[in-house]
Amino acid sequence: MIRDDLVRWRYRLIPNTVVGEILSKPWIDNAVPVLMLAVLLTVFGALVPNLLTLGNLGNLSQTVGEYLLMGLGLTIVVMAGGIDLSVGSVFALANLVIIALAGWAGLPMAVAIPVALLSGALIGLLNGILVGYLRLRAFLTTLVTLIVVRALVDSLLLSYSQDIGAAPIFSAFWDYLAFGTVYGMSVSFMTAVALAVAVHIVLTRLRPGWHIIAVGGSRRAAHNAGINVRRTVCLSYVASGTLAALAGVFYAARLMSLGAETGVGLEITILTAVVLGGTSLGGGRGSVVKTVLGVAIVVVVTNSLLRFNLPSGSSPLALGIILLLAVAIDVRWVKNKRKVLDQTYVAPTYFELPPLPDARRGAATPYAVNDHLATAEPIGLGLLDGPEDVILDADDNLYTGSRDGNILRLMAPDYTRVEPYVHIGGQPLGLAFDRAGNLVTCVAGMGLYMVRPNREVVKLSDETNRTVFSIIDDSRMRLADDLDIAPDGRVFFSEATIRYALHDWMIDALEGRGNGRIICYDPRDGTSRTVLPRLQFPNGICMVPDGQSFLYAETWGCRVSRYYFDGPKKGRTEVVIADLPGYPDNINRASDGTFWLAMIGMRTPAFDLSQRMPGFRRRMAMKVARDQWVFPNLNTGGVIKFDLTGQVLQSLWDGEGGSHPQVTSMREHKGWLYLGGIFNNRIGRIRLPDADQSWTSQSAYWGAPK
Amino acid sequence: MKIITKLVAAAALCIAGVAGPAGAQDASPSSGFYNALKGKKIGFVPIAMGFNETQAWRTAMERQAAALGYEIIVRDPNWSIEAGIQAINSLIEEKPDLLIIENIDNRSYNRMVQKSIAAGILTVQTQQRSEIPSDAYMGPDWNEMGRNAVEGMVQACGKESGKNGKVAIIQGALTAPASLLQMAGIDEALKDHPEITVVSNQAADWDATKAYQIATTVLQQNPDICGIVGFWDVADAGIASAVKEANLQGKVAVITSGSGARESACDKIAAGDFSYYTSYNTAGQGRDLNAIIRTLLQTMPEPGSKPFDLVSPLIRINKDNMTPSSCWSLEELAQIGG
Repeated sequence: MIRDDLVRWRYRLIPNTVVGEILSKPWIDNAVPVLMLAVLLTVFGALVPNLLTLGNLGNLSQTVGEYLLMGLGLTIVVMAGGIDLSVGSVFALANLVIIALAGWAGLPMAVAIPVALLSGALIGLLNGILVGYLRLRAFLTTLVTLIVVRALVDSLLLSYSQDIGAAPIFSAFWDYLAFGTVYGMSVSFMTAVALAVAVHIVLTRLRPGWHIIAVGGSRRAAHNAGINVRRTVCLSYVASGTLAALAGVFYAARLMSLGAETGVGLEITILTAVVLGGTSLGGGRGSVVKTVLGVAIVVVVTNSLLRFNLPSGSSPLALGIILLLAVAIDVRWVKNKRKVLDQTYVAPTYFELPPLPDARRGAATPYAVNDHLATAEPIGLGLLDGPEDVILDADDNLYTGSRDGNILRLMAPDYTRVEPYVHIGGQPLGLAFDRAGNLVTCVAGMGLYMVRPNREVVKLSDETNRTVFSIIDDSRMRLADDLDIAPDGRVFFSEATIRYALHDWMIDALEGRGNGRIICYDPRDGTSRTVLPRLQFPNGICMVPDGQSFLYAETWGCRVSRYYFDGPKKGRTEVVIADLPGYPDNINRASDGTFWLAMIGMRTPAFDLSQRMPGFRRRMAMKVARDQWVFPNLNTGGVIKFDLTGQVLQSLWDGEGGSHPQVTSMREHKGWLYLGGIFNNRIGRIRLPDADQSWTSQSAYWGAPK
Repeated sequence: MKIITKLVAAAALCIAGVAGPAGAQDASPSSGFYNALKGKKIGFVPIAMGFNETQAWRTAMERQAAALGYEIIVRDPNWSIEAGIQAINSLIEEKPDLLIIENIDNRSYNRMVQKSIAAGILTVQTQQRSEIPSDAYMGPDWNEMGRNAVEGMVQACGKESGKNGKVAIIQGALTAPASLLQMAGIDEALKDHPEITVVSNQAADWDATKAYQIATTVLQQNPDICGIVGFWDVADAGIASAVKEANLQGKVAVITSGSGARESACDKIAAGDFSYYTSYNTAGQGRDLNAIIRTLLQTMPEPGSKPFDLVSPLIRINKDNMTPSSCWSLEELAQIGG
């Protein structure tokens, strides 16, 4: 037992969820470039004097700004699954156009700058039409554009460079673009930062950005999802061309130079920056932050190498090696991250259950196995898929959720006619009627929803307050499970776990930790707050008639507790049954003032023991294939009846498992007990001859129907 | 005894002279000369290292720097304007006493030159001049280089040669003064020589491969051409090989110019690759640069206040007038240059 204590404290003090949770975050892909930048800054900062002085950073900010602008454009193209090599030439073209228009032709800036940007956009459009609509290879097409535009610039320079180059530009705005500073940083840098934020928002929050990522991820899937793939690809090149032209305008303002070297090889530099940041050349994976990091790395490396006084050509060589390294790391990272995540995400902890009550046939406990449920008659056999919870309305019609996101209605009195009541999505689990007759439901993967009697679906809540130091974004609801409604209209609902989605819910059992919570949705102001955090797979919730408290079941904790949300005991939790022989699911009221409790499965000594051996479960999760893991027994369960003192009054089993061994919920209605089961293809019902034959939970909650 | 006394006195004087400024004004050179140079920092940003001009300047400058105890900091942007600007910026941050910039064209570094002067750094421009004057400019008169090229054309293809007067021009980078001004010089001088007709005028961007391609095409299109004018010997080696490949060596004159380095000038003239060569003599330029450094660091003018030029004297070389001293080599420079 001392050993047990040690294990318990070790797992209490050192949270082992961190590694897996961090690895599951999308931003972890930035770890490699961030680390790389940190190392480079440390090394070069020590070796190169003045590298990190404000003066040097201010000087570099113009370069960074121009690179970043081009990098943003290239990021958009690469994320859409393409590549744009023409940016260097577009940059040179815009440089020529703006100097020609503003200087030689003497046009005002308000005309010259848009025309220069338009020149880039047109080249981008050309690329876009060729690659997007005519389906030419992006690499070859933009390589050709690179050469053609460069040739165009060169031939214009041959004929006109003397005339164009000699004309001065007098414009305050022009000088502002070149020399102006905002908070000590160049205008081009600040413009690039503002655009970076904008592009980030577009890519991560807005529809066009999602389209780009979807197209880059899989053209076919994007097409099948109804996205206009060709237009999306085309527009990505237009964006890239325009941004490269904008960089060219800033460059022109800064140098006023028509040098033939302008923008030569720049596409490689920018591509290096984008790939170095971790944006995948395969498309669909990347971000603006990555590009910002990549640009920072490239500028730090080139600027530092320049000062090392190395022989000619070593700087591009170093960049080339770094690019190669980045691509190699990227490939390895993508390949192995998923693997490592799979191995480390499951984070078991120590959990000790109270002694297992005897539930064998003939046992002296109230749990002794019997065959009451063997008589259950099936409803909607084969028509239902995963009826986790069941509920009946005032007209005795039966409602249940299904795995394909519908709420189904089975029509009284014979329940042979099944109709889709509404389609919500996700998987509707817990069901409850409110005072006004709205059907409120917990939808796994979505949140808390309400269906009005006219079948209108209303979202009530899909987020709650985020826990301050939580790595996982726990403000979103992954697995809303069951609910009940207080007399004042507040909805208390359970989210079984914040670490797993519905398809993985059973893995949560291996952790033995309180990963779930109970949330209160207040319809008066539409807010949601977490009221009970860190519960072990909280599942069923049932209001106690006192109007001040509710009962809730914790599935992996094998216990039922009572929480006071109002009244003199407000905020307190009392355990009602601490040592169930199985894994409790939904709780509902019985007609005699007691409560029904469904058990989804039964405890086994082996799994109970493994709960006290977190190291064992961890090794199992890391080394053994998932179908070989030790899981809790969820093959057979039953229904018990208990009162508020915790006394178990009755239990109902299907001892032979022939007719209804799997139960996740039950609902008493007019002398019948209706049984739901998440793995079942039917609803079962048994007669309750001793019960009040007119009792319905509807009237018990909200009074007799008018 | 007398001799010994004299020797001791002389030794004492020597020591005094070396030790401090006591009797300095009498000594030659004055100790002020050494003090003005000792421990100074000189920044140098070439277009790129690794070719004749920049290597020669560097060798010459480092020889003097080693002798006089100052430091030359080289930042090599390797043909990139962007890298050049970063290099100049970083040097300005480090505040050297003098900054030598080789312009890549006439405008790109304008603002850098201004900035350097404003930062109180003596600023020297070499080879090509930007639009902003600074403390000193060292380089050839490109216009004169152009007029010289025409002289080469006239020698090979003019009236007295009995040839058809058809020439092709292969420039450097179009926006570089070395091309622009040379071309202007050519245009100007060609007015006096209507017998010379320019059948092709293109730019090879100082690149031998490009020059080779252009020359090959020109020779195919004009098999009867009399001469090809290039603007830089390193790139024009490409013209020479194109002529050789077309079996026209000796028939088509290659007129070029450059640093006067032995391998790329005299050796090629001797081999018949080049028929006429205008050298701005980079060995002499190295000495000019050193003179500028010595002068500016002693006089310490307000940066930008008194600009002056040291224009490189030109040497015209052909097979007939070539001597062993017409050209230079890097080994010689390391020994005797500057």
